[in-house]
Amino acid sequence: MLSPSTLASWEGLILIGGLIGIVVWKMMTGEISLEQLFEGETRARDGTRSSDVSGGRVQVFLVTVFVALYYLMQVIHNPKEFPEVPTSVVGVLAGSHAVYLGGKARAMLLSRFRNFLK
Amino acid sequence: MKTIEFWISLVGAILVAFIIAIWVPGDPKDKVAHAIEYGGLIIVFLFGFMILAGIASGKIDISRILEEKSNGDSKASMSRFQLLIFTFVIALSLFLIVVNRTTEFPDIPTNVLLLLGISATTYGVSKGIQAGATSESDDEEKAGEGAEKK
Repeated sequence: MLSPSTLASWEGLILIGGLIGIVVWKMMTGEISLEQLFEGETRARDGTRSSDVSGGRVQVFLVTVFVALYYLMQVIHNPKEFPEVPTSVVGVLAGSHAVYLGGKARAMLLSRFRNFLK
Repeated sequence: MKTIEFWISLVGAILVAFIIAIWVPGDPKDKVAHAIEYGGLIIVFLFGFMILAGIASGKIDISRILEEKSNGDSKASMSRFQLLIFTFVIALSLFLIVVNRTTEFPDIPTNVLLLLGISATTYGVSKGIQAGATSESDDEEKAGEGAEKK
């Protein structure tokens, strides 16, 4: 008979692996839509909206994937303890997200700010 | 709970616990401990599996997990996407570390919490910006409708 800890390991693997697998599968089949993932909305001075590929979104995607893979590699390399993430990596991630949020706020809220100043 | 799967899981786990308690040889104290351990593990697994099966079959709909409403139509949100990636990475890492350690639960370093914090804050702030922009366009629409009526 399997020991409780071995059984728990297999159960965890099936449940976590299964969830990740299902989500990835649904993304690949298009059931979870990734449409316009890289497209950001911009508002012109006259209030009209348009969407275009956003540099902020592309960079945040690349940095996120890089940091996530880096972290996962570190864990696979030494799965005994949580790896220390260098402060520079955390800084790069925070900066990248700040750029993304700044860009989004500028694109979506700038016209409101202009109207407020009128 | 109205679902049959819930009751099957519950009865199954209790049944396994009884089988261990009655037929497996050994010290009664150990048998009680094993019955609770295996019963608990099985019920947690079956509950988790029910949710997974529901997601896979479409009974639990996660098709809009990455969608964000913007100006009336829905599109995939980068903030939701990055939060999903980080959640999966940290969950998988925690699982691998717990499985590979036989002693105590691992300490979670500050930087890991910081990574998740940055990710979740980005999602929250992004949602706030989105909500601000949506309320503004709603105001504009109402103002437009008011002008038309006049």
